[in-house]
Amino acid sequence: MLTWILRRILAVVPVLFGVTLAVFSMLFLVPGDPVKMMLAEFVTNPDQVAQMRAQLHLDEPLAKQYGRFVANAVRGDLGTSIRSRRPVTIEIGENLASTAQLALAAMLVAIGLGIPLGLLAALSRNSWLDVASMGGALLGVSMPSFWLGLLLIFAFSLHLAWFPATGGGDLQHLVLPAITLGMIAAAIIARLTRSSMLEVLGQDYVRTARAKGLGGFAVVVRHALKNALIPIITIFGLQFGNLLAGAVIVETVFSRPGLGRLIVGGILNKDFPLVQGVVLFVATVYVLINVLVDVAYAYADPRIRLGRP
Amino acid sequence: MRSLRSRVLPVVLALAMLPLLGLALPGAEAQAPGPLVLGLDQEPPTLDPHASPSAVTYQIIASVTENLIYKAPDGRLVPWLAESWTAAKDGRSVTFKLRRDVKFHDGTPFNADAVKFNFDRIVDPKFKAGGSRAQLAGYVGSKVLDEFSVQVSFETPYAPFLTYAAAGTLSIVSPKAVKESGDQVHTRPIGTGQFMIKEYVAKDHATMVRNPAYTRKVPWSDRSGPAQIETVVWKFIPEAGTRVTTLESGETHGVYAVPAQSLPRLEKNTAIRIEKAPWPGVPRIWLLNVSKPPMDDVKVRRAINYAIDKEAFLATVYKGTGLKAISPLTAVMLDDPSLKAAYPFDLAKAKALLGEAGWQPGADGIRTKGGQRLEIVLNAIEYGGGTDPTAQLIQSLLNEAGIEVKIKAQARPPWYEDNYRCATHGPVMFLRSTDPDGLFALFHTTLVGGNFNWSCVKNAKLDGMLEQGRRESDPAKRRAIYLSIAQLALDEALTVPLVDELSVWAFRTGVQGIKYNFNAYPILGDATLRK
Repeated sequence: MLTWILRRILAVVPVLFGVTLAVFSMLFLVPGDPVKMMLAEFVTNPDQVAQMRAQLHLDEPLAKQYGRFVANAVRGDLGTSIRSRRPVTIEIGENLASTAQLALAAMLVAIGLGIPLGLLAALSRNSWLDVASMGGALLGVSMPSFWLGLLLIFAFSLHLAWFPATGGGDLQHLVLPAITLGMIAAAIIARLTRSSMLEVLGQDYVRTARAKGLGGFAVVVRHALKNALIPIITIFGLQFGNLLAGAVIVETVFSRPGLGRLIVGGILNKDFPLVQGVVLFVATVYVLINVLVDVAYAYADPRIRLGRP
Repeated sequence: MRSLRSRVLPVVLALAMLPLLGLALPGAEAQAPGPLVLGLDQEPPTLDPHASPSAVTYQIIASVTENLIYKAPDGRLVPWLAESWTAAKDGRSVTFKLRRDVKFHDGTPFNADAVKFNFDRIVDPKFKAGGSRAQLAGYVGSKVLDEFSVQVSFETPYAPFLTYAAAGTLSIVSPKAVKESGDQVHTRPIGTGQFMIKEYVAKDHATMVRNPAYTRKVPWSDRSGPAQIETVVWKFIPEAGTRVTTLESGETHGVYAVPAQSLPRLEKNTAIRIEKAPWPGVPRIWLLNVSKPPMDDVKVRRAINYAIDKEAFLATVYKGTGLKAISPLTAVMLDDPSLKAAYPFDLAKAKALLGEAGWQPGADGIRTKGGQRLEIVLNAIEYGGGTDPTAQLIQSLLNEAGIEVKIKAQARPPWYEDNYRCATHGPVMFLRSTDPDGLFALFHTTLVGGNFNWSCVKNAKLDGMLEQGRRESDPAKRRAIYLSIAQLALDEALTVPLVDELSVWAFRTGVQGIKYNFNAYPILGDATLRK
C-alpha cells in the first residue's frame, strides 16, 4: 500500500507540469501587459515601463521565462508578486490558513448536515421528513453562494447582530462563510446519502443484522451507513475541489483573507508569478486530497486493496 | 422499522445540529467596544508610498507619512515638514528649509539627508517605483546644504513639483527603516505622522495606533499634539453590499466608496452621516479617439458633446456621487464661466452638426454617409456585473442623435491594450492628479501608446502649451495656461467631460472630526469616536 501511495504521489509530477504549462500559456494569451496594468492608475513614462519589465524579466523570450519559473519552483521559490512585490510563497502562507480553515469548516457543515439529513430522508422514505429534507437539499444545490452569503449577512449580521459580516481570524468570523460554502456540498451529500442508504437498507446483510436482533442504531450506523459511505467518500474528494473554487466567491462576499481572493486579484492584474504560484499550490493540494480519498476507500471497504488488481 | 426510526431519529437530529451549535456558541458573545473601524473597497498592493501604484495606499497612510508641503482643500500650499521653501528663478530647483523637531516613528531624526535619500530612492533604477516616479520627472538630484536645508534640482524648469511634493506619493519615510526592514517596508512604512502602522493582515485589515510622541501642530488643525483616537483599523471589504451592511450593523464606523444605489437608504438612516469630498484631477471623462474615423472629424466630436445630456448621468448612475463636469479638469482644479458655457445639451445642434459633416438620417434612424453607417465603438471595462451603466447611458443618448454606439465590454488588461493601440473610439476613464499637469499625460503627443493619451491626439500647439504649463511657476500665469489648454480641448472636442466625481464616505454619527486633504483622502488626527 505504501508503494502504491508513493507511486500515486510521483504521478502527480506530470500533472503539475501540465497545469503550470497550461496556466502559463493562458496568461500570455490574454492581451495586456502586467507592468502597464500595475502602473495604470498613474502617469508613467515609457522608460519606467521598460525598466520595470526588465527587472521582472518580462522582456525575455517566453520559453526562458517558463524555464526560470520551473527551475525556481523546484527549489521552492515561486517568485515575487508583480503587484505587491512580495514573495509568492509568503503571500500563499498568509492566506493558506484562512482558506484551509474555511474549507474544513465548510466540509464539517457539509458532512454534519448532509449525512444526517440524508439518513433521515432514507429512514423515513416518502414521509414528510423525506420530502422536506430533500426539498431543502434541492434548494441548497440551486442557491448561488453569493446570494446565500448576502442573505445570511442580512439576517445574522445586520438584523440579529450575532455574527460579524466580514474578516477572518477567530471562530466567530467563520460561521457565516462556512455555512454559505458548505451548503451546496451538504445538499449534494444529503441526496447521495439518501439514495445510497436506500440501496444498502434493502440488502440481505441488513435484514440479517436485524434478524440477529441487533438494535436499530447498530444496524443503521455499523452495518448500513459504513457500506453506504463509499460513493459519499468519492464525492467528498471532488467536492473539496469545488469548495476551493467556491472559496473565491465566499471570500469576496465576506471579505475574508484567502487563496481565492488572492488568485482573483492576481488574474485581474495579470500578476503572472502570483497566479502561477497559487495554481500550482492548489493543484498539488487537490491531487493529494484525491490520493487520500483513495486511501479512505480501503478503510471503508476492506475488499478494496490498493495497488493490487 | 418504526422502532428503528424512533431510536435513530433523535441521534440523527442531534448530529445535524452539532456543527451549527458548535460554531454558533462563540458568536453569542456581545461585541466589545472597539477602535475606529473603517471599511475600504480594496486592499492596497503595498503601503510603501514610493512603490505603490494604487490610490488606496494613500487613503491609509495620509495620517502615517508626512510631506514637505501640505496642499489644503482650497488648493493653498502650506508648510508641513518644511518650514519654508524658495523656488530658483530659473525654475529648475527648489530649496527647502526643514523643521528641526521631527523624528520618525523609529526614533531616527528627520533631516536633509532623509529627504535626499527618499527622492534618490524613487529614481534609483533598481527600485520598482509606482506613481511617484513620473512625479519626479527630470529629477537631477538633491543637494544637502546643511543639516536642515536641501536643494532639489531638475533638468528643466518643473513647476508641478511643489504640488507633487505635497502628495502622498512623495511623502517621506525613514531611511533607516527602508534599509533595514526588507519586505516589511510594504506593510509597515515608518513615517513621521500622527499614526503608526502596527499590524497588517493580508486581505483582512491594517491597524494603526496613535503616535504618542507627536507634539507638533498639523497644518489642517488648530490643535498641537497626538491624534485623538488611540487605534484605527482599516478593513478591506471589496463587496459593496457587504461593506454598506457592516456600517449599518455597526461592525464598521465608516465606509468608503458608498455605491450610488445605497445612498438613499443610508441618507434616511439617522445613525449614519454621509460626507462628500470632490476629487481633484480629471473627471469621469470619455476620451474621444481623434485618429479613428468618423471621429477624426471635429464636427462629429462636437455633435457628440452636444448630444450627451450630463444631467442624465447625475440623475441615474452618479446620483448623489457627482457634479456636472465642465472641462478635462474637475472644478476644484479649474473653474471658469467660459468652461461652464461650453456644450449645453442641445440635440438639435448635434443633429445639425452631423448633417453638416455629411451624415444623413438612415432608414433605421442611424445616420449614414456614402453607404456607411455612423457607428462608433466605446471601450468599456467588464467588471463581471453586466454592461457598464455609463456606457449604456452614452449608447442610448447618442442613439437619439442617430449615432450607433457599440460597447466593447472586456476585462481590464485588454481594455488597456485597446487604449494603448488607439483601437476603439475611446474609453471612459478618470485620473486623480493634484496638479493641472495631469493634462500633460492626457494630451501630450509623447504619451500616445502610454498612460493616458487615449484621445490619441498629436497637436503641436497643445504640446507647446502643456510644456509651457510645466515651466511656468507663477500661479496666475499657470492658471491662464491651463485655462487655454482646457478651452482648446473643448473647442477641438477631444473629450466628453461627464461627471466630477465625489469621494463618498458614510460614517456612524458617533464619528466626528474627519477632515480631507486636497487629494480627498481622510485625515484622522482630529477624529473622535463617541460610543
